[in-house]
Amino acid sequence: MADIWWKAHPQDLHRLTDRVSSVYIERSHLDRDENAIAIINKRETVRLPAALVAVVLLGPGTRVTHGAMQLLADSGTAVCWVGEQGVRLYAAGLGPSRGAALLQRQAWLVSRPPERLRVARAMYGMRFPGEDVSELTMQQLRGREGTRVRKLYKQHADQHDLAWHGRVYKPGDAFAAGDDLNRMLSAANTALYGICHTVIVGLGASPGLGFVHTGAATSFVMDIADLYKADYTIPLAFELTAAGLVEERDARTALRDRIAETKLLTTIVRDIKILLLPEGEEPPDSDANHLWDEHAGTVAGGVNWGVFDEDYETDLTEPDLGDQHIAVIGPELDAPTQGTGRP
Amino acid sequence: MTVIILIAAPEGLRGHLTRWMVEVHAGVFVGNPSRRIRDRLWELLADRIRDGQAILVEQAPNEQGWAVRTAGTDRWRPIDFDGLILSARNRHTTS
Repeated sequence: MADIWWKAHPQDLHRLTDRVSSVYIERSHLDRDENAIAIINKRETVRLPAALVAVVLLGPGTRVTHGAMQLLADSGTAVCWVGEQGVRLYAAGLGPSRGAALLQRQAWLVSRPPERLRVARAMYGMRFPGEDVSELTMQQLRGREGTRVRKLYKQHADQHDLAWHGRVYKPGDAFAAGDDLNRMLSAANTALYGICHTVIVGLGASPGLGFVHTGAATSFVMDIADLYKADYTIPLAFELTAAGLVEERDARTALRDRIAETKLLTTIVRDIKILLLPEGEEPPDSDANHLWDEHAGTVAGGVNWGVFDEDYETDLTEPDLGDQHIAVIGPELDAPTQGTGRP
Repeated sequence: MTVIILIAAPEGLRGHLTRWMVEVHAGVFVGNPSRRIRDRLWELLADRIRDGQAILVEQAPNEQGWAVRTAGTDRWRPIDFDGLILSARNRHTTS
């Protein structure tokens, strides 16, 4: 086994708030070269400082090697495959946060209706600054939100002198329907979902446990993204369409610039903490390996709690796929010589 | 801002550093790592530089505004003249 000195310790990694939000790559290979993550195309090779990036967006025509993914995972960087028509596949190893405290807290809140209602109200409250929403029912809140968004669309349409015939999209295939405006909205929202998803996973919360949205695997992502649409994707889509920029790429790059200008990543992190944690508390950022105990709370993990007996060695086999899996393995090649062969 | 320079570094060390910093020219790295990450990266570099040299220049709260760390063989040592940091190199006796 080779010496894997290059592995990053959680303390080596930049917090999410200190990272660049996203890097978009297309028509290139992502490979590992001397412990660096290299982006390679016909013309040049670029090394990616992955520890400084929150999420790598892989567009059409990319190819990724196992070595590159290993380094990306080790850097706590999420990877999101984005494609034409807003198709998205999301992969995140362990983010920079290695603890489960926030996830447990989120599960606790979401499974208790009074707590859940409190968080959902807080989410709406962020969108109606200065209004008291503490007594409103979910139905009233939904109604207000609908009115607010409709007003926004109309206001931006008037401002840019564009015709607005209502939001049209087909769930699951956002680009199948609608005019340029709707497509730009869908494209910008897709990118925003990717960023929110990254922050949620990076903080160690669950994308699936939503408070307002429910049922979908990305419910919490939609909850969080909805907080920012009014300030980011909606004005952006109208601005770009009015300027005649109607390519998906335009939406993505413009959104990224705006995210950088306004430090949105920091805002998302702050908002998630406000929503999920009791006031002023920070999530304990330990990658504690405990075993749960109904009386003691937790006991140390990584310890064999079996009664120690010299004649009896517990058979600690690693859980694996057993003998039921089918392996597809390429032909054996000669062992690579030391060092990388340079052309 | 932090600048790291690696000379004759062993295989894989330069590549490793590019995960945190941008290599603007062969062996010259620029970035903004936090103090904690800087210290941890430096520990690793100093530990693995062996026959090469590593130099790290960072901002510091002194009169000059910067400080330097060096590691490796035949390195030039930063020395402190009452708060002014200068470099000392060994005098080789020509044999």
